[in-house]
Amino acid sequence: MRGDLVAELPPLPRRPAPLSRRLAQGAEVFGALAIIFFVMFPLVWMLLGAFKNEIDIYSTKLFFQATLDNFRAVFASPVLLGGRIWISALVSFLTVAITIPLGAAAAYVLSRHRFRGRNTLFLLILITQFVPAVVVAIPFFNLFRAAHLIDTPLALVIVYLSFTLPYAIWLLRGFFDALPVEIEEASYIDGCNEFQTLRFVTVPLVLPGILVAAVFTFISAWNEFFFALILTRSESLTLPVAILGISGPRGPMWEQLSAAGMIVMVPILVMSFFIRKYFVEGITVGAVK
Amino acid sequence: MTAPQPSVSEHGPAGLTQQPGRKPRQRRSGSLRWALLGPALAIIGLTVIYPLIASFISSFRQWRLIDSPDPGPFVGVANYARAFTDAGFLNSLAVSALYIFVSVSLTLVLGLGIALILQKPTPLNVLTRTMLIFPFAVAPVLKGFSWRFMLNPEFGVYAKMLGAIFPPLRGYVWLGHDFSALLAIAFSEIWGWAPLFALMFIGAIGSIPAESTEAARMDGATSFQIFRKITLPLLAPVIYIVALLKIISAFKMFDQIAIMTGGGPGDSTQTLYYFVYQVAFRNLDMGYASALSYILVVIMAIISTFYVRTLLKGD
Repeated sequence: MRGDLVAELPPLPRRPAPLSRRLAQGAEVFGALAIIFFVMFPLVWMLLGAFKNEIDIYSTKLFFQATLDNFRAVFASPVLLGGRIWISALVSFLTVAITIPLGAAAAYVLSRHRFRGRNTLFLLILITQFVPAVVVAIPFFNLFRAAHLIDTPLALVIVYLSFTLPYAIWLLRGFFDALPVEIEEASYIDGCNEFQTLRFVTVPLVLPGILVAAVFTFISAWNEFFFALILTRSESLTLPVAILGISGPRGPMWEQLSAAGMIVMVPILVMSFFIRKYFVEGITVGAVK
Repeated sequence: MTAPQPSVSEHGPAGLTQQPGRKPRQRRSGSLRWALLGPALAIIGLTVIYPLIASFISSFRQWRLIDSPDPGPFVGVANYARAFTDAGFLNSLAVSALYIFVSVSLTLVLGLGIALILQKPTPLNVLTRTMLIFPFAVAPVLKGFSWRFMLNPEFGVYAKMLGAIFPPLRGYVWLGHDFSALLAIAFSEIWGWAPLFALMFIGAIGSIPAESTEAARMDGATSFQIFRKITLPLLAPVIYIVALLKIISAFKMFDQIAIMTGGGPGDSTQTLYYFVYQVAFRNLDMGYASALSYILVVIMAIISTFYVRTLLKGD
């Protein structure tokens, strides 16, 4: 009907974006894909390796007959990964259970109280974070040897506190600082004393921060290798040290190592995903605002 | 809390007891303060201060565990003097310096590159940004194993890819040559750090006002000029702080060296940190190792002072 009155024109061909723009867009997509490759490929390759048999692991093929044998093998003798998971979990949970309450208490004071020497104290705690592990390891190795604590989970928890506690205080102080002090003032006006305020107002409000600190503490204890290498022998081997034992006459058995690697890695990757928004802050602790 | 709070300062309701020159009244109790701080300070004292003191004392003694489990006589500064004539120590200083330079500069360049590519919030870029945290969370031991596996000249997937792109590199033993072994270790670490740096840079680029780059573009500036003259200067403080952070981590790096090369080939990847470990726990020479570890502490203290100072300046 309308076409009788006004001639229907063919739609104008959409002018293509200028070549340079399209090239730039293409380059951006290619760049993002290259980054995904760089970041994810080693993870994917280990994942594939975990399901390859002892022959396919030495090929670079992407399609193969998947097998669960490697997971069975690492849980069997001699590696007995089940016991190692238990030790790693025990050590990591104990470290978190000590670090977080003590760290939060100290961080609260350093954030809220004003007293002489506060800044010096905080500075000292910051600096202890940078004491190299090898310096801590030498006296503790000798102390634990004399006290027959070598190869016990307790020895690991003690030395892990040397880096988790200063770190947690540092991180948690940032979370307390970010909480407006007016909220606590309101609680005081309502007649609460300081402990009640801390217990019922402050801590619940910084709970997300406390959880983030707990996850970072857990990850650093779970992944720790240096102290575990020095202070364990057989009974208390944690996962990162235990996987050194996955080797045969030809060196590491890569297919089993990949399977064990997935077991070490997957819980940590899942946790990291949940706290991903805090990752930058957790590593740099307020360095980049 | 719903009622408006008139003039509440950081130190409490203003004007109640405040007088000029006097600290505002606190409702915080002094005894609770030390009850809360005490346990943490006690543990830091036991786990950090005690070993620092113990190492310091044993750095002046002769103490070889092969001879006796008990510390030997005091030998003055002999352990420190020995370090400066020990070719192994001097080599490890040079290796540490080279390693720090290589890994820090590559991490910064790659991190910046990733940030620039992903700075526009397109759906693909946002998805990619989510993945950037994963490598960092992987246990360093696994990073070492993973890269060692992928760089194996016979069956390593990265070694094969590199051989396909540059045929002269086919069959090259990456961990068997001095510099390429160092580079391989650096890459196993960069894989974790560069994506994380990129996230920080993306955050910092996001805070650059869009008007300034738009204005520059209107004036006919090229993308490179905008990067060089606007983005880079504004990123400089962030670059400085992450570079310090990376220097500290590169200096303390242990796990991948242990897994990938064990300090070799020869002693070409034997960093100062790894050297101290060797002297302490392979040669069991605790006196000398304590002295070496104190040299390490001094260097670390210098670097970390820069870092902490820069952090606190922001407060």
